[in-house]
Amino acid sequence: MNISFEKISLVVAIAGTMLVASPVEAADINAGAAKAKEVCAACHGMEGNSPQPDYPKLAGQYPDFLAKALRDYKSGARKNPVMQGFAAALSRQDIDNLAAYYASQPAAVATRR
Amino acid sequence: MMKTMKAIVVGAALLAAGAATAQAPTGDANRGRERVQMCQGCHGIVGWRTAFPEVYHVPKLSGQHAQYLVSALSAYKSGARSHPSMRAIAATLSEQDMADLAAYYAQSANPQPSTPAPKK
Repeated sequence: MNISFEKISLVVAIAGTMLVASPVEAADINAGAAKAKEVCAACHGMEGNSPQPDYPKLAGQYPDFLAKALRDYKSGARKNPVMQGFAAALSRQDIDNLAAYYASQPAAVATRR
Repeated sequence: MMKTMKAIVVGAALLAAGAATAQAPTGDANRGRERVQMCQGCHGIVGWRTAFPEVYHVPKLSGQHAQYLVSALSAYKSGARSHPSMRAIAATLSEQDMADLAAYYAQSANPQPSTPAPKK
């Protein structure tokens, strides 16, 4: 009886650890839109169709690429003084939300031969 | 003293003028198309993902600003951006090559009807 209680406790503990260890929250496009308006839109445009030739268009880009770019700016692996400043203030959830938001906009970029 | 000051001012002005005229080369989309095969193996395939060192979709380039594409290639060439394959490829490119490839990708989202299809 004691052993089975221990086993159950162990299973519950492991399951709890797994839940805590992998907080895979779905990206929130609406939260991404709100953050984009605050942080990104001044240069990249609200829809990610940047009017300025030195700022990349983001609309319709792959979300995992956008998220990687932001993570790299945040870590300093990709060096850009402007982007590093903005990315440093973003949480991982912010990054996923922003990537999902800009990827969902009418595409300004495409894959063509 | 005044002469020295004048000389410094004139020298600085000449330096500034030199920097202003040393602009990036103008890109030629047709020349870019001739060299774009080096990019297509990854950037020409819808949904293509990197395999190393991280797995993610390679970016879509068609329709992107040419100026940004040149700055991205320059950053790979200088080492400021670190992807191994992109650094190896960018290292082989001149400034003119970068401008040509960027011009090609910037206009390739909306190819002109008169533009001949790329030769296979």
